[in-house]
Amino acid sequence: MRGRIFSIEEFATFDGPGIRTTVFLKGCPLKCTWCHNPEGQSFSAEYVRSPNGCLACGACIAHAARRADGSLLLTEASKNACPRELVRLCGEDVEVGELCERILSNSDIFHSTGGGVTFSGGDPLGQSEFLLACLSYLNGKTHRTVQTCGYASKDVFLRVLDHCEYMLFDLKIMDRAAHLAYCGVDNAIIHENYSALVRSGVDFVTRVPLIPGVTDTAENMEAIARFISGLGVQYIELLPYNSMAGSKYGSLLREYKPRFDPKRKLCWGSDIFKHYGIVSKKM
Amino acid sequence: MTQRVKKQLALLNAREYRNRRADPPMDPKEADERFEETMMGEAQRFCYAVSCEKEAVFYGEDLFGFNRYCKGAISRGNFGNVVIDYAKILKSGLCGILDDVKRNRAHADAYANEFYDAIETFYAACFDICDTYRSAARKNGNDRLASALEQVPRHPARDYYEALVMLRFLSYILRLNRCTLLPLGRFDVYMKPYYNASIAKGVTREEILELTELFFISINFDTDLYIGIQKGDNGQSLVLGGCDREGNEVFGELSEICLKASEELCLIDPKINIRVNKSTPISLYERGTKLTKQGLGFPQYTNDDIAIPYLTSLGYELEDARDYAMAACWELIASGCGADTPNRHRVVFPEVVDIATRLDLVECKSFDEFLSRVDQRLEAHCNNLMKKYPSTYNDRTDATLLSSFISPCIERGRDAKNGGAKYFNVGFHGAGISTAADSLCAIKEGVFERGEFSAEELVSAIKANFEGYDEILKKVLSYPKMGNNDDRADSMGAFLMEKAVKYIHGKPTPSGGVFRLGTGSAMGYVTFADKIGATADGRLAGTPFASSFSPSPIAKLRGPLSNIKSFTKFDMRKICNGGPFTIEIHDTVFRNEEGEKKVAMLIKTFIDREGHQMQINAVNRDVLLDARDNPDKYPNLIVRVWGWSGYFVELEKPYQDHIISRTEFTV
Ligand code: SF4
Ligand code: SF4
Repeated sequence: MRGRIFSIEEFATFDGPGIRTTVFLKGCPLKCTWCHNPEGQSFSAEYVRSPNGCLACGACIAHAARRADGSLLLTEASKNACPRELVRLCGEDVEVGELCERILSNSDIFHSTGGGVTFSGGDPLGQSEFLLACLSYLNGKTHRTVQTCGYASKDVFLRVLDHCEYMLFDLKIMDRAAHLAYCGVDNAIIHENYSALVRSGVDFVTRVPLIPGVTDTAENMEAIARFISGLGVQYIELLPYNSMAGSKYGSLLREYKPRFDPKRKLCWGSDIFKHYGIVSKKM
Repeated sequence: MTQRVKKQLALLNAREYRNRRADPPMDPKEADERFEETMMGEAQRFCYAVSCEKEAVFYGEDLFGFNRYCKGAISRGNFGNVVIDYAKILKSGLCGILDDVKRNRAHADAYANEFYDAIETFYAACFDICDTYRSAARKNGNDRLASALEQVPRHPARDYYEALVMLRFLSYILRLNRCTLLPLGRFDVYMKPYYNASIAKGVTREEILELTELFFISINFDTDLYIGIQKGDNGQSLVLGGCDREGNEVFGELSEICLKASEELCLIDPKINIRVNKSTPISLYERGTKLTKQGLGFPQYTNDDIAIPYLTSLGYELEDARDYAMAACWELIASGCGADTPNRHRVVFPEVVDIATRLDLVECKSFDEFLSRVDQRLEAHCNNLMKKYPSTYNDRTDATLLSSFISPCIERGRDAKNGGAKYFNVGFHGAGISTAADSLCAIKEGVFERGEFSAEELVSAIKANFEGYDEILKKVLSYPKMGNNDDRADSMGAFLMEKAVKYIHGKPTPSGGVFRLGTGSAMGYVTFADKIGATADGRLAGTPFASSFSPSPIAKLRGPLSNIKSFTKFDMRKICNGGPFTIEIHDTVFRNEEGEKKVAMLIKTFIDREGHQMQINAVNRDVLLDARDNPDKYPNLIVRVWGWSGYFVELEKPYQDHIISRTEFTV
């Protein structure tokens, strides 16, 4: 079975315990306006261009196609036209066994450091059958972590939970309407899956990306704290937003439109979490 | 950091002290003519240099003194880069050494007597400068230093402070005598008795830390006068940890204090080396990583499990092998009794492969035939280097004072260059191994296995610097490269190293020592790379090789794990003259404890897999600026941008600038 990935990072330092390799699966059901990995959003392979050494000759644009919404899309012709070979295809189809063997080539290092593999994305649950095939292949061979936004059918989510030792679960916005507005989907299923995760007994960490004025508001932090402490969770990790989130949009000929003020100072909400008996850690 | 330390640090960093130095009263060229090239001539030259240092110089609330009075352009000495017998000097004082001289006069020949006469003349001048400092210190109300100078350097040090004053004094006189590279050796070993004595007297650990910091600051003064190859290349490396002469681990409280001092001060000197082995606990690597985080490029780690067997295989006695220290950069040298020259010449692997490619490849019917041609040329290259080494050293100048501090020169009545030292071995660097291995691999894959182009085509492409040969260039760049845990490339590296070891390791030198081989490049990765045109791996003319034992800068890497695996496949016990596996990690990885711990795990992984030596750089602003302007040089520079990582060169300029601005305060 084949799946689509866009990067493999050896020695990913913030994706779970020990020394880990993180595999980034292509495609995400969400559309967060602050997404720092826009090339991970689409399930299709896309051409991207590297800005460095670019002559601004426009050859790639001249060979670009148009998306349904009218925006430009780099093509294979763009790739062939670039005199500096800066255009490349992002998204590679790999066979389960081939990918897993490559990961396992470092399993001795994972073993001696308490590490393993992390599947991230996009959202790895977006290619759930491929993800499950990989997780099964790796069963008993190394420690498996899944990093997810939790937007998947209950059935898929439970099966994935059954096949991993560790989960990094992102919570973003508690308010349904705001979640829909900023992330493009309803969050009810995310909360259900989160509850299932807590009940499952699988080791996990809850993470919140702090987006200025969006997720770091007192109301949202309070809602998150109430929600997770109600389930008995006492630890949370906060990932600060920084203005570099938009750095890759240009490579996709897309514009970064975060719809909030990226320069606003972040609120850490430590007191709020403390009030609910939750230890919060800045990452 | 105490107020006093802060003040001294500010004084140093302001650099204004340099303006106060007097112009050189002596032209080194003139001095060369004025004083004979004999041992006594050397001593007289030193006396003259001392007399030019007219006054004692103190900076701020200086506890050590021995700063330079005049700019004194000191021409570079030609002997140095050895670790003197600090333990003995601290224990017996200079008067103790003079007693040894007297005793040994009984059976001295003419040469020995000349040597001894010179030492006595040297030491008399040493005592002069010491007395100048003592009375000046007394006059300035610096009673602590004045009292210490009544004891040292003449007599044995009695506590930690006196021992530090002795070290400062030694550094001053040796440098005044034109010794540029002056490593500090195993500080936590030879200083331990004095540390213990001070603690027993009731000195607190905080006071020891303050003294250590003030000492570290003091050795950074005047370094602009002692330049090796580049500014900062002054050889003040310092070794912590490892086993003692009996085999017991030495890393302890004092070692800890040194790390802390270095971390707080963020100065380039001393350059910290840590000796480790497979039993070293992860906590020590975590401790070291906090220092790495400062972006100074050290500590550097050396693996005792490899280094000690390497040295014994060359004939070092086990106790001396266990007591090894570091020369200026990374070369292993014996503590106190060696006059090894650890970086005499370089095996330039890419040059050998390149010559074979240009001259032999077209005639070869099989890859094995080509490999045997490479082997022949490598043998000739190695023999040639060994022949270059002179059978005797006539230039005795500058060795005398230093020799009085190296065992057993006094007993033997010979200076270190003429049979006085216990070890007199000669080391060679081994530069550009990855470029050479990748080139062999490209030839094997492209010409012989896949048949994608002919030998003639490849040679023409190289000669044309690949201009007009885009297809071949693309192909060779896509072939396996060292650093990706791919046996096809790594086995080529193994072949070259194995053969070079065969030709060099342990071969006798004309002067009674043996030759040693390492994996260092020093500046060779730039200077030698300049001389060679494009190479078969796709490296264009003018592109440097990797620094020391690392993947080629043009190799696109999978990541640090595959990289470590690639470079821990070889038995390094025969090629450990020095030259670290070097890895760059962006300093954002160090931003919290979790990242630091993982870096520590990575280092431990390398050492546990029997890697010989490792250097980790938290990448700093300068590299990033260079990377921004020359993206081709840094294809693998990974930066952690937020919850994700990316290749630095693939980021847009404003984001690169942002990352650069973030690194502003790391150095
Ligand atoms: S990416 Fe290539 S084709 Fe596009 S503008 Fe830059 S140099 Fe020209
Ligand atoms: S869930 Fe993550 S990958 Fe998906 S759109 Fe949001 S930020 Fe991007």
